[in-house]
Amino acid sequence: MSEMPTPAVSAHGEHETFSARVLRQTAARWGARIGFAWIGLVALAAVFAPFLANSHPLALKTPDGWSSPLLENLTWMDVSLLAAFIAVFVVWLLRRRLNGARRLAVLAVAVLASAVPAYLLVNPPQAVVFEKYRQGLVSGAVEQAVFVPVPYSPTDRSRDKPLSLSPPDSEHLMGTDEDGADVLSRMIHACRIALGIGFVATGIALVIGILFGGIMGFFTGWVEILMMRFLEIFESIPQLFLLLTVVAFFGRNIYLIMAVIGLTSWPGYARYLRAEFLKLRQQDFVQAAQACGLPIWSVLFRHMLPNGVAPLLVAASFGIASAILAEATLSFLGLGVVDAPSWGGMLNQAVGPGGTFAVWLATYPGLAIFLTVFAYNLIGEALRDAIDPHLQRAPG
Amino acid sequence: MGSRFGVKDLLLYLFLLIILVSIWLTMVQIDRQWSFIRLTQEKLDEQTRDIADLRRQLQRGVLVADSDRPAETTGGLPPTWEGFRRAHQASLAPDYAEGDWLINYFGSNLQRLTPMLSADAYASWVQEQVLDTLITRDPETLDWLPLLAESWAISEDGLTVRFTVRQGVTFSDGEPLTAADIAFTYRFIMDERIASPRARAYYSRIKSVTVEGNDVVFRYEEPYFGSFELAGTMQVLAEHFYGPYLESVERAEQFNSATGLLLGSGPYKLQDPVGWTPDQPVELVRNDRYWGWVQPPFDRMVWKVIQNDAATLTEFKNGDVDVYSARPLDYRELLKDEALLARTNHFEYYNARGGYSYIGWNQQRDGEPTRFADPRVRQALTYLTDRQRLVEEVFLGYAKPANGPFNPLGKQINPDIETRTFNLARAQSLLAEAGYEDRDGDGIIESADGEPFRFKLLYPAGSDDYKRVVLLIKDFYVKAGIIMEPEPTDWPLVLKALDEKAFDAISLGWTSGFEIDLYQFFHSSQMQPGGDNFLSYGNPELDSLIETARAEMDEAKRMEIWRRCHEILWADQPYTFLIWRASLNFIDERIQNVQRTRSGVNRPGLWQAPGEWYVPAARQKYDG
Amino acid sequence: MINYIIRRLLLMLPTLAGITVLVFSVMALAPGGIGANLMTSGGDMRPEERKAMVEYLNRRYGLDQPMTTQYLRWLNNIMPIGFATGPDGARGEFGFKTPDLGSSFVKNRPVLDLVAEALPITLLLNALTVPLVFVGSILMGVYTARFRGGALDVSIGTVNLALWSVPTIWMGVVLIGFLASEEYLKWFPTSGLSSLRSDSWNFLPTFGTPSEPGYQRGYLLDMLWHLVLPVICLTYSGFAFLTKLTRAAVLENLLSDYARTARAKGASERAVLWRHVFRNSLLPLITVTASILPGLLVGSVIVESIFSIDGMGRLAVEAVQMRDREVVLSITLITGMLTLFSYLLVDICYALADPRVSYE
Repeated sequence: MSEMPTPAVSAHGEHETFSARVLRQTAARWGARIGFAWIGLVALAAVFAPFLANSHPLALKTPDGWSSPLLENLTWMDVSLLAAFIAVFVVWLLRRRLNGARRLAVLAVAVLASAVPAYLLVNPPQAVVFEKYRQGLVSGAVEQAVFVPVPYSPTDRSRDKPLSLSPPDSEHLMGTDEDGADVLSRMIHACRIALGIGFVATGIALVIGILFGGIMGFFTGWVEILMMRFLEIFESIPQLFLLLTVVAFFGRNIYLIMAVIGLTSWPGYARYLRAEFLKLRQQDFVQAAQACGLPIWSVLFRHMLPNGVAPLLVAASFGIASAILAEATLSFLGLGVVDAPSWGGMLNQAVGPGGTFAVWLATYPGLAIFLTVFAYNLIGEALRDAIDPHLQRAPG
Repeated sequence: MGSRFGVKDLLLYLFLLIILVSIWLTMVQIDRQWSFIRLTQEKLDEQTRDIADLRRQLQRGVLVADSDRPAETTGGLPPTWEGFRRAHQASLAPDYAEGDWLINYFGSNLQRLTPMLSADAYASWVQEQVLDTLITRDPETLDWLPLLAESWAISEDGLTVRFTVRQGVTFSDGEPLTAADIAFTYRFIMDERIASPRARAYYSRIKSVTVEGNDVVFRYEEPYFGSFELAGTMQVLAEHFYGPYLESVERAEQFNSATGLLLGSGPYKLQDPVGWTPDQPVELVRNDRYWGWVQPPFDRMVWKVIQNDAATLTEFKNGDVDVYSARPLDYRELLKDEALLARTNHFEYYNARGGYSYIGWNQQRDGEPTRFADPRVRQALTYLTDRQRLVEEVFLGYAKPANGPFNPLGKQINPDIETRTFNLARAQSLLAEAGYEDRDGDGIIESADGEPFRFKLLYPAGSDDYKRVVLLIKDFYVKAGIIMEPEPTDWPLVLKALDEKAFDAISLGWTSGFEIDLYQFFHSSQMQPGGDNFLSYGNPELDSLIETARAEMDEAKRMEIWRRCHEILWADQPYTFLIWRASLNFIDERIQNVQRTRSGVNRPGLWQAPGEWYVPAARQKYDG
Repeated sequence: MINYIIRRLLLMLPTLAGITVLVFSVMALAPGGIGANLMTSGGDMRPEERKAMVEYLNRRYGLDQPMTTQYLRWLNNIMPIGFATGPDGARGEFGFKTPDLGSSFVKNRPVLDLVAEALPITLLLNALTVPLVFVGSILMGVYTARFRGGALDVSIGTVNLALWSVPTIWMGVVLIGFLASEEYLKWFPTSGLSSLRSDSWNFLPTFGTPSEPGYQRGYLLDMLWHLVLPVICLTYSGFAFLTKLTRAAVLENLLSDYARTARAKGASERAVLWRHVFRNSLLPLITVTASILPGLLVGSVIVESIFSIDGMGRLAVEAVQMRDREVVLSITLITGMLTLFSYLLVDICYALADPRVSYE
């Protein structure tokens, strides 16, 4: 037995849309707040990683004058992420002036406009010898160097002073891994892969799931039967199994992994959307839209979708969490990308075969994975509670 | 209320289920007990048969005192029993006792024990305890000693080898072993219906194996220095046991899918020679009918399967495993453990059959010579590969830099050759000679056409040590302006890349031996698909030297030729040889007579002999 | 109802075919293809040996034929009716025959044997995990619904969510590192399912027999002792989802009309809960069981590899890494069949449990 949710009147005295109300109620819950705070932290770390942990000094004084090796060595990914961050900030400032769709459009344009030129133009030097700054300071070739807080790049393996698997000390706050690279630096840079996998994989899954679910929910007959079989096929294949198969047969490629995670997750979203659409199909506004002669895609995706998307958001939040877990598991099994830092990969190095237990390698990356996954789960829970009509009643 | 399914019903069903499961589990346990009783019964039967046999022999008045074996057992070994000298010496120790178990382990599941079928290294450890060969080597002097063969003769032209087979040898089930079994083994391997293509290829050099009285004669097409070893180290299969599998295609298929068909004349045997399956641990028991001069010391040899490395160490520390082979980092950590040092002995040694790792430079790709075709480039890269640092940082000193394919413990190596040490200046000048310099100031050196020196190094995925080595080397090369991109590759793809020669450089390893044949690796004829010269390396002088060495039957002359080959390889550097790894072992200290030899530690099965280790009676842990 | 079942069974076939085609295509399209790459040992490769091996395997398994032919051959092998195969791969006559899952390339044993060895172990693990998870979730779900909003509700909810977020890989490493190691507590063994000589022990624990004085753990207890850590790893994350589901269902029922009627008639809250509401709340759980069951088989891959247990998950991973085509396809088939069967089973149970649901 359920009641119709009472129309909410926002603080501004206008009617709130459903999605605005959901977001507001979600943000009000403490679980979601903690979740958003942690994700925000991780996102900041991902964007500003080169400025937080880098072996290249920010400013370098040699007999030839001042230079900034850090800026010279930024990659196109660094530049694009910074540009995207600025774009998000600008959009937030202008949020009153733009509605939802326009905001997305502005963001997309800004990101593309910065990513494409960056990819083409930004060309950092490839032959990097990290220890030359440290050695230069000792030998006098370098007069002064201003380093960022963590003066180690994730691939700086400390060749001037071999330091494999050393416990945390004043120089390496979280110790080093088995190759001698600084753990804190790798943790910060690994935020990129973690968030990237989550968003990209879930994004792919959402797009496919929405397409399929929408069509399945609207049409009946042989179209539905065929698509249902298709959905069952993808549902029945265990995700880890397919991931392992693809990695074993096609090699390790982070984009491929993201695609496979996306391809195995979409059935869940499709089912949710189909269930919602089956309910919405009978509603008046849909029939009215059809009667007006609007094309199908418009009916499905401009009219029905915004109303049915709520459970999808919940599922997406949990989906991001599980994508991150899947990537960590792959890296743990040794099938992740080699050089790039990843939390799962670091966890793998924690237990040596001879039973040497590097506690710092087990604690920090494990905590990072746990907190990120927990954060997404909290957000998902909060979203679910906000959407649930049962909880819209007056408290008591 | 009707027939509602309530909580009470649920509990009732659950209870019923538990009872049923318990009954079934009890039945399983009873089954296990029955099979144990059966095994005991079998053993008893065997012993009764043996006693009956002995009694009959006594009745017939057979000479019990063999004139071949003098009554005094102090050192007086007849020459035909030299293969047992070391074991015999061990048995003279005052605290020598038979008994106890030796517990070993495998790092992964063993699929098959059936000989000839498996490519498993693990299976061979087990098979070498159960099957015998004609000859064996002294682990220290490397001389060939008689085992199943009493004596042998090699013809002048090297095309015929004749072994005289010892009399009175029996398999573990009592059937006699004769020259016919050896000829049978050859027939068995070469039969197309048996799934042993690897063994077939290996023994295809033999033209024929014939029986002449007590002798077995191997004939070859052409003289080859390894012919004697090939024939002498063939593991002998029993005709009466394996012969029936040649009767028909169905029986051959049965053999091909059998997991545990292992019967031989060796010091140990499987209690059940047909029934082993991979879900059981491997247990060998002493062969009570062993024909050797010395009886096998251990009652049982057991191999547990422990796939998890951490679990292996835990079991070793608990004393559940007797021998532990450690990686450098763990070895160093373990040496700090006082309690462990008190209960074990540890050994670091180089094994004559151990292998070396290397980086192979592909000299031809897609029909075009690559930048690695220039020997100056290869030499420069070798100067940049700081082997000493590799040894210190990755292997913590438990390795030796390698400068050639010959094992430092063998006789082929040329002792005058030096290993190139890290020399950035020399490398850069060699590269400049070959036309590589940094023309645009970006830190990377380019060829004359402006192509940057950048390449991918393939290496087998899954090994941490390879990864660390490759990452370290990458940072060496960067100093000279060379960008190396590591590519961990799964094994099937590695093989594919080798077949198609579709790679820039590859890092792999080969196992070695006392005397290896360079032909398959470095002879130019092996460049064709399927050969192991996948680097398209060819040097006519080396080719002719290799051919001469292979046909040279005089060992001293042959070694001279191999040493000359070593010089050429040092100059040409088709591989950048990396390191020889040391074996690092901990052995429970109740085991006595563990010795270092030229071939490594004298573990049982090192060469076909009953083994030199034993546990004194007072210290034995397991009985039966 | 029977019609429905038959219709569902028939619809299963194209889905199964689709799954196998998908997996087969992934393997076929890969660089290296499905072919002879069956060197399990690395270093000692001799050219003649390898060539001989490749030819031999091509002949035996028909690996040099085009992909579609190979797929059709495999399909023919697994069906109960089809062309019988002669000893050399020649085609026999059409008729009934025993389905043949093929032989593993790497291990050269029939796939059925491999599965028969691995399946009971996985089933054992799951037989212990599933009841624990269900019972725990139901109890927690009921109590948090009963005392909703209270401290118990919030804390159980948060703890469950936190547990769900802990990656299994981390949990396994931590458990072994702290509870099964030398440095900290050595309460549990690190690997395997039984100790070395345990199959010569008695089944039940003994407390002093003439041959073995003193306490002897016994086979049963030994196996249970080995199972504790793996089962913990498998269960801890399962509570979150099911508890939430049960809670929602119980809550919905507690606020329903018939519950209100029962209270009005004077039943205690406890009676309302256990005698009326409880059974109706179990229905959503039945639906969820469907999605859990298939994951159980291959889902314990990580736990099996951390604890060195030879179940189906390990079999699948090794087969994939070794490109053991027959095993991979067979496991896909088995998992797919079990998934679809479990969906069907769940729908049937749903129809039986809830008289309002009908499939006609």
